Amino acid sequence: MKIALSGLNNTDNPAPGIGVAKSLKGHNLTGLSYDANEPGIYEGLFEKIYLMPYPTLGYEEFKNRITYIKEKSNIEAVIPNLDAELPLYIKYQKEINDLGIKTYLPSLECFEMRDKSKLPEFSKKLGVKHPKTIEITSLDDLILATRTLGFPIMVKGNYYKAYKAYNLDEAIEYYYKISNEWGFPLLAQQVISGVEINYIGLGDGNELIGGVGIKKLSTTELGKVWSAISIDNKPLFEVSKKFVETIGWRGAFEFEAMSDGKDIYLIEINPRFPAWVHFSTMLGVNLPEMMIKLINGEKVEKKYNYPLEKMYIRYVEEAMADFKDFTTLISKKEL
Amino acid sequence: MINEMVIDENNVGFIPSLGISFQVNETAKRIIELIKEGKSKEDIVRIISDEFNVSWREAYIDVEDFFAKLRVYGLIQ
Repeated sequence: MKIALSGLNNTDNPAPGIGVAKSLKGHNLTGLSYDANEPGIYEGLFEKIYLMPYPTLGYEEFKNRITYIKEKSNIEAVIPNLDAELPLYIKYQKEINDLGIKTYLPSLECFEMRDKSKLPEFSKKLGVKHPKTIEITSLDDLILATRTLGFPIMVKGNYYKAYKAYNLDEAIEYYYKISNEWGFPLLAQQVISGVEINYIGLGDGNELIGGVGIKKLSTTELGKVWSAISIDNKPLFEVSKKFVETIGWRGAFEFEAMSDGKDIYLIEINPRFPAWVHFSTMLGVNLPEMMIKLINGEKVEKKYNYPLEKMYIRYVEEAMADFKDFTTLISKKEL
Repeated sequence: MINEMVIDENNVGFIPSLGISFQVNETAKRIIELIKEGKSKEDIVRIISDEFNVSWREAYIDVEDFFAKLRVYGLIQ
């Protein structure tokens, strides 16, 4: 099948696209990139690369580009893997499907339900706890939030970045750091002491089709997983299952939670595969391949079991590419 | 959570649901086994005292200390 996918960054802040591509090696893959510097472009995983217009330019720009890519490469399906582009893909999924490009995405309503600002209410629906969270749009809001929540406190962007601040000076520093890069609103969140655990899953709109649970063992300075271990946490599995069943989630997701050994605290639900998606494939639960089968209307056997105590190791690799490929991509917007 | 702990040949205790691990020594390993068997703290002190050939007082201090650590790590309530 001819599948296009995005998220080709593969630095110490990797995007999910490379993990998805490695899981779909038997297919004809097309890479959709926003930047010719993304290392994943040069890893030999894609038969064709296209530069995409930024999602902020709107649907018309996107439509022109994806229509061109459809005509030129005859892509049959697209898997968007970046938070910033997902609202556009989800909002216009019918239009994209009408172009002859299949998607496997949640409805806009489902997507918005798990927005960070709505998690306090949503977590009640799922029967899990949620750290106290206050939306902040000004420095005054931040100061008030620190008085309510105390220290340490998490200062988070609505889409990206999260820092733990131990005093007001640090909180203000992170406030500017995140808002300068990603804008408002920001979130101030109570710090939960416990173990961070994550579940990657795939829903078909009714049921959880498969998934894998992990505990991060080490992370980069940005909090990205560098090593992890596969775990079997029943409450995490049950709440992930309930998440899909309660709102009819269709597509990939990552359920981020904290466990204090007694309760599960919902931290965030990412509406896409996480960058460590290839670990689930290595454990025998190939969620991207299962997604492609669902896209094609094939029957997919549920897969909840996988080997435990397996370690996920991320490491640095080096490659050589032709500079001409880089310049061709910049000038012609495709390679 | 202590009942979930699996101790391997390297004396590493692993909690499968949370992916956390602890290095334990022979005494800790034995205390965990006894907790899993449902023994009371008093029984554990007596058994440790007998098996490791230390006074009741010394065993009591070590077992108390170990239980406090288990509480700190959230392994027992």
